[in-house]
Amino acid sequence: MSRLRRIDAVQTEFAEAAERHLDDVHAFLVYLTGDRAMAEDLTAETFARALERWRRFDPRRGSARAWLCQLARSTALDHFRAEDRRRRREGRFAATEQREDAGPVFGEGLSPELEQALARLSAAEREVVALRVVLELDGEVAARVLGISATACSTRLSRALQKLEKEVSAGVAA
Amino acid sequence: MSPLELVGDFDRIAQELRGSRPIASPALRERVAALKPPEPRWTFRMPSRRLVLALAVVALLGSFVVAGVTGLGGSTRSKSSGPASAVQSTPPTRKAIGSGAATKAPSLGPVALSEANSVAPTAGRLQRYDATLRLRVQNVDGLSRATQRAINLTRGLGGYVGSIEYATSGGKRGGATLVLRVPVANIQAELDGLTDLGTILQQRTGILDVTRRADRESKQIAELERELAKASPQEAPAIRAQLATLRAKHARLVRSARLARIVVGLATPPKQAAAPPSRFDRTLDDAGSVLVRELEILLYALVVVGPLLLLGAAGVAAAKAQRRRADARLLERT
Repeated sequence: MSRLRRIDAVQTEFAEAAERHLDDVHAFLVYLTGDRAMAEDLTAETFARALERWRRFDPRRGSARAWLCQLARSTALDHFRAEDRRRRREGRFAATEQREDAGPVFGEGLSPELEQALARLSAAEREVVALRVVLELDGEVAARVLGISATACSTRLSRALQKLEKEVSAGVAA
Repeated sequence: MSPLELVGDFDRIAQELRGSRPIASPALRERVAALKPPEPRWTFRMPSRRLVLALAVVALLGSFVVAGVTGLGGSTRSKSSGPASAVQSTPPTRKAIGSGAATKAPSLGPVALSEANSVAPTAGRLQRYDATLRLRVQNVDGLSRATQRAINLTRGLGGYVGSIEYATSGGKRGGATLVLRVPVANIQAELDGLTDLGTILQQRTGILDVTRRADRESKQIAELERELAKASPQEAPAIRAQLATLRAKHARLVRSARLARIVVGLATPPKQAAAPPSRFDRTLDDAGSVLVRELEILLYALVVVGPLLLLGAAGVAAAKAQRRRADARLLERT
């Protein structure tokens, strides 16, 4: 009986966290992958993992949002590694594989220049933009999610924004 | 300056990015809402710090109790009840019985000589007396007084002092050994006087009846004298030499039976031995020694396993760093 109650409590707590942070995690994964469909799958996978590990989450060590973003990043990296291995196995075919995605990726209503500029950034640059600009996490928390120092995070963000502005300007000029 | 401020057109870009952030689709919301928690599996969870502390306290108390109950380490401890046990037995007493044969009988302990075990000489018998006494005196002054009194007593009874060894150490402890010779007739008075000098720690008295041996030697002497009277001038010198040897031997025997030999040992109390530890102290010591042993084992294990752990930790750190670099490259490529 107590076991069932415990399961119910975990589910309720998790459901609340999922409801509150689903958009954040999804947005982060969209920026990280640059692919909406992949981001949806990875978001679902992230929350499945989060539900399994919910007991390990300790609010004293950080917010649920940061913890979920960390988990999302790790899920995405696992996926990228698996894809990388698959591409290597499949050789040339995978190397020439093209993405078939016509619609906007990074959000409805973005200017085409900004959309294209974001697409030209690397995943490493987009993830720092997502965490610091879109999700508005502070430098320390973002650095912890990325597994780097706060200084490295700041440097990476600076370069990413400069590159983004340059790409946007180039796009407007064209 | 914040990195965000480095970009001139930042505000517009940031507003645009935030205003157009991707939103999860209803289908994704349904997928996430449909997630069910897995059946809880048994997993090993590290005990909390409080539990570890409580266990350590219980282990400590347990070791105290076990050490106290089993008396660990106490088996090698001497069960001696004190200095008195050092003199609990005396060497066997040698005492002549009737025919003169020497027999041995155990002494009953450090008691003063009494009439019951009197060593008074037997009239008409030739007996050799030999006694040893060990006495304890209060201090160095007492040692000096007792030595002097023993000498005076011996001389007063017609005897003499064969030898004296007297030594003190630091003015607090000391000892003396006296070899006394007194006429056999006064041996009982001599022993009575000596036992008053201090506390008896050990005593031994030996009596060897030499009457038969003396009689045999006397007969041999008489026979040789008769032979000498009948002997030719050629045989006489040899018999005379044999007779001289036998007479000297007989004289020594008679002389030894006339004066008793008493060896007296006087000593101040030995350095005060430390009081035997109480049961509680022993328990504490034992528990402490168990803990020290455990620490030794732990230290040994650390010394042996430490380098391997360090190597392992370095390996893990290197693998993590390598993986982080690989992830960074992967994200740069993606």
